[in-house]
Amino acid sequence: MNELALLVVFPLLGAFLLPAIATISPFISRYAGPFILFTVLILAASAYNTVALSPAAIHLGGFMAPLGIVFYIDPFSMMMAVIIALMFLLVWPWKADTPVRLHSLYLLMAASSMGLVISGDLFNLYVFYELLAVSSYGVIAIQSSRSAPAASLRFVFLSAAGSVLFLTGIAIIYTLTGTLNLAHLSMLAQGQLNNFAAYAALLLMIAGVGVKAELYPVNSWVAEVYASISKPLAALFAGLMSKLAVIVILRLIWMMQPDAQFLHLLLILGMLGVLSGELVAWKANDMTRILSFSSIAQLGLVFIALSIPSENGVFLAVLLMLHHWLVKSGLFLLITQLHADPTRLKGLAQASPYMALTFLIFILSLLGVPPFPGFWVKLQLVMGLSEMQQSIYYLALGVVLTATVIEAAYLMRLIKQMYSPQPAAMPLPLQTVNSQQRIAQFFALILVVSMLFFNPVNQQIKQVAAMISDKVLVIKTVYPRYYDSHHHLQQQASLDKQLSSVFEEQRL
Amino acid sequence: MVSDAQAVQWLLYGGAFGLVVIGVFGLLALNNAFRLLLALIILESGANLLLVLSGFREQGMAPIILSTQAQAGIMNDPVPQALVLTAIVIGVGVQALALTLILRVKQRYQTLDMRQIKALMEKDISEQHQVAHLSSYESPAQISAGRESDKA
Repeated sequence: MNELALLVVFPLLGAFLLPAIATISPFISRYAGPFILFTVLILAASAYNTVALSPAAIHLGGFMAPLGIVFYIDPFSMMMAVIIALMFLLVWPWKADTPVRLHSLYLLMAASSMGLVISGDLFNLYVFYELLAVSSYGVIAIQSSRSAPAASLRFVFLSAAGSVLFLTGIAIIYTLTGTLNLAHLSMLAQGQLNNFAAYAALLLMIAGVGVKAELYPVNSWVAEVYASISKPLAALFAGLMSKLAVIVILRLIWMMQPDAQFLHLLLILGMLGVLSGELVAWKANDMTRILSFSSIAQLGLVFIALSIPSENGVFLAVLLMLHHWLVKSGLFLLITQLHADPTRLKGLAQASPYMALTFLIFILSLLGVPPFPGFWVKLQLVMGLSEMQQSIYYLALGVVLTATVIEAAYLMRLIKQMYSPQPAAMPLPLQTVNSQQRIAQFFALILVVSMLFFNPVNQQIKQVAAMISDKVLVIKTVYPRYYDSHHHLQQQASLDKQLSSVFEEQRL
Repeated sequence: MVSDAQAVQWLLYGGAFGLVVIGVFGLLALNNAFRLLLALIILESGANLLLVLSGFREQGMAPIILSTQAQAGIMNDPVPQALVLTAIVIGVGVQALALTLILRVKQRYQTLDMRQIKALMEKDISEQHQVAHLSSYESPAQISAGRESDKA
């Protein structure tokens, strides 16, 4: 299991060595990045089956938790690791004239993303989150578009302020409990983290990480940044980076198990995100902005799912994230040559029917039209919300359905443009199919395959979600000795209470 | 009565929170890019101080055990110090990056006012996407027009 630390080490080492290697041999530096990512992909994929049955904890340097630093490997983190490696390989800048610093920054982003999904304590979460943030500032800032520096500057201000809020939250949590290990914190959560100060800390952390997760009030950067960067990079940001931040929020919420009122706050933010995103996307007049604002709305749906306080909520959030990853990455890759006014889409179906079909699959799935996966995902969200049987969740249900109507209004407009005949004066919308669009077709293929095998995929994700939300399993994995020695003594007592008291003893 | 130690602690915590509040207020209220950066720096120092304080013990020593003289005494907590060290390093990097970005933005748009920068950037984005620019109240032409009418 220990070799899984290489998931972080390889790309990180590559990122630092690449500029030096480039001065010796440009050939090696050009292919080293994809090679590293491919190795990491194989490593993560081969580990998936092992951890699918029981998660594992890597105690770095042999120091046991809570003194040492822990990597927590569960099926979900391995699934995300595979997705990260795959995604970076797919959007890798292959062009021969790409500056080596861009390759370096991509590897740095990959390393920090890997670290983010497998780290088991707040310290490492913070460090990897910052690393991801800083490398993404760099990538945005060196884009060639005219608006890139300004968009980057505005993003830096917002995101850096968010990171500071995250750090403040960590400081408060540490003051309250004296530990940063997530498993340890979830043991103490029942006794020490259900007070006002801890909720304030959680709110600060969610607001901080929410900047990258496109949470409602702190998402003003989204459209301008996605419009200023190259479209494959936008696919990476909208498809993957936002999900990584959501994963941090998911882990934090499951660690603290906040009470219903806190979750209602998250629910309201999610609803506002959905409504504002859809309405602005409806008003937007270019493809990039339509997709950016729709991505805000989709992440609002994820937050609505996260506010369901049960295993089902985690399951829905993971499902929504995976669906949005496929669809939005595919759409951003598709519009590399069509990012302008939607009327430019006229005649696309004539010019390249396959491209139009790919477009159609993505749009229908995003909208939630049966039989595409998007429909089943949305249906399960609606059912999950109605199962809560509380007025605020019914309100959220109404918001989700209303948002779908608005979504239909602007997405159907795109389909209509695509299938209307091409005016004589205008050039063909798509001269040549480039590699990005081939990759988008690959995403569409995954989407169709997951539609055909939706039930097994669904079951698999349900198991994965069950493992994320099983607190006892997490504690058992990270602290095997404490668990074993005290487990059978008080089998009658509830496990949560028992474990927290055990840890109280240890601390004294 | 408040003991001296408590008073000192309140002062320290109050100071750190005060810096955070000043920083957040500055980020929300200011428009000049450079002042925004200064507000960010103040916010960061506040958060860092808060974190250091969480591991600070009254009359604590540096958390280093020398093998020859094992002393029993109160030690400061090293974990927050390590975290703060990381945060300071990251902070300096981000501040330097933000400064270079401010320079580039200034060269391009000849202004440091974030509202004007935003309006000009929106215009640039619209041009890049070849769509009509929907001018808002904050578009630069209207801002300057408003200023002239103020003078008149």
